[in-house]
Amino acid sequence: METLTLAAPGGELSLWALFWQAGWVVKLVMIGLLAASIWTWAIIIDKALAYARARRALDRFEETFWSGQSLEELYRTLADRKTSGMGAIFVSAMREWKKSFEKGARSPIQLQTRIDKAMDLALTREMEKLEGRLGFLASIGSSAPFIGLFGTVVGIMTSFQAIAGSKSTNLAVVAPGIAEALLATAMGLLAAIPAVIAYNKLSSDAAKLGNRMEGFADEFSAILSRQIDEKVLHKAA
Amino acid sequence: MKTGLTVSTVAHVALLGFGLVALSAPQALEVADVEAFPVDIVPIETITQIQQGERKAPVAERAAPTPTVRPEPVPMAKNVGDNDTDLKTAADAEASKREVQTAALPKPEPVPTPAKPAEVPVEKPKSDPTPVPATEVTPEPQPRQEVTPDPAPETAVSESPDAEAVKLPEQAPSPQSRPQPPQAQTAKAPQRRDAEKPAEQQAARPQNQERSFDADQIAALLNQEKTKGGGALRSTEQAALGGERTTTGQKLTQSEMDALRGQIQRCWNVPAGALEAENLKVSVQFKLDRSGALESSPEIVAGGNGGSVERAAAESARRAILQCAPYNLPGDKYEAWADVIVHFDPSDMF
Repeated sequence: METLTLAAPGGELSLWALFWQAGWVVKLVMIGLLAASIWTWAIIIDKALAYARARRALDRFEETFWSGQSLEELYRTLADRKTSGMGAIFVSAMREWKKSFEKGARSPIQLQTRIDKAMDLALTREMEKLEGRLGFLASIGSSAPFIGLFGTVVGIMTSFQAIAGSKSTNLAVVAPGIAEALLATAMGLLAAIPAVIAYNKLSSDAAKLGNRMEGFADEFSAILSRQIDEKVLHKAA
Repeated sequence: MKTGLTVSTVAHVALLGFGLVALSAPQALEVADVEAFPVDIVPIETITQIQQGERKAPVAERAAPTPTVRPEPVPMAKNVGDNDTDLKTAADAEASKREVQTAALPKPEPVPTPAKPAEVPVEKPKSDPTPVPATEVTPEPQPRQEVTPDPAPETAVSESPDAEAVKLPEQAPSPQSRPQPPQAQTAKAPQRRDAEKPAEQQAARPQNQERSFDADQIAALLNQEKTKGGGALRSTEQAALGGERTTTGQKLTQSEMDALRGQIQRCWNVPAGALEAENLKVSVQFKLDRSGALESSPEIVAGGNGGSVERAAAESARRAILQCAPYNLPGDKYEAWADVIVHFDPSDMF
């Protein structure tokens, strides 16, 4: 009578051991996912800080803008400073205004168009600055699970090949390989979940900020057009 | 961007470091040792062929039942019979061929007790003083006869064992041969019709003809005196593992029967479209030679009579047996399958 004693292979199951036992493809996937996670969080932190800063800057600018200060004065204080957000839009519009008037603009309608264009450009640039790198979050959020899954599939494939080689279906033989393979999926999800959530939150924040700036641009455009009309009337009189 | 990257990297390193420490190795799942147990393929013959023995006894080379103790002969046996021991008489035991004659003893007629009206007519004959011609007179009965002056409660039934106890020693029946230890058998003691004849003689001569003579009643009473044989299981061997009785190895085992059944079933075209399959049961008997080929043409021993459907069913059974011959059966058990009766029951098929 042949009796078989099946000793469980004492496989290390710590995180580090799981990583170290994995094949190079799985390792690569895991390293990539770790890097993606680090970068994702870097972006999230950076954007969160940037948006908070931008919001504060907008508040401060609106306060000074509506405080009754003359536009010329405001322009002079902001022109030689590095501005962002509404300040940048204001400065670009004022610059265009100044240029046109210093040279003596002929057509007020043309002037209005030019100022609008300049403000649009400034707004677009600001929005770009706000929304930059959010795309990375989106793509990590959607692709990281697949990358992790890829690592898992490769890991399990290797694991099954090892089982076939050892000719034993004991769970203790199968389990470590599957555990290490599943680690890749876990990392993929770990990177993807914050990325997706942060992407949704940050993009809606950016849209809010953009709306605010757009509103300001429209309002300022209206103010400037009133000013142009006044100037034209003044000239005509 | 710089701050974000630094914070993120630091946080990841911290988390991973924590993970390495906290999730270093999960607790091993405590599982009871899985013992590999050997599996033997046991042929069913070992189950169907059993030697007689004891259920709980240890295994021995030769199976034997529990050793029995031979009881001492009972001098005052109550049951009628010719065993040494007092055994209950079997209800359906037959009277033995051997004839026994007892001597009725001359006895002065005792005074019949008037207090107890004897309903049993046998009672009266007991007090018959006329001596019965005795073939062999033993000297012992005489004193005994004197001791029993009260015949009223005594029935013929109680008398006969007495007479027997006296006579038996010379003819004490014991099993002709000791039963073979592994196959202890019931030792059937020879039976003997005892005291019937004298009793009949006595019954034929009732003294007091006060009551109407009822021969049937007397016969019924006398019948009770019929000797009955008893059995005794004897064994002196140490008890060993075994079954209740010995089953011979000459029987086909279950698996061999299944094999034969399968061989026949392969060729059996079940009569289809029969309304009442119950009536289509057919039993076919056939003989086989040692090679498994048919020795005689199969005979229908049961079923197959009635309508055309029944005949068709019987024919289909016969055809099945003819078609599938020769059969492949264990040659060393030829005696078991030399003559086979197969029951064909199509009701199981629907």
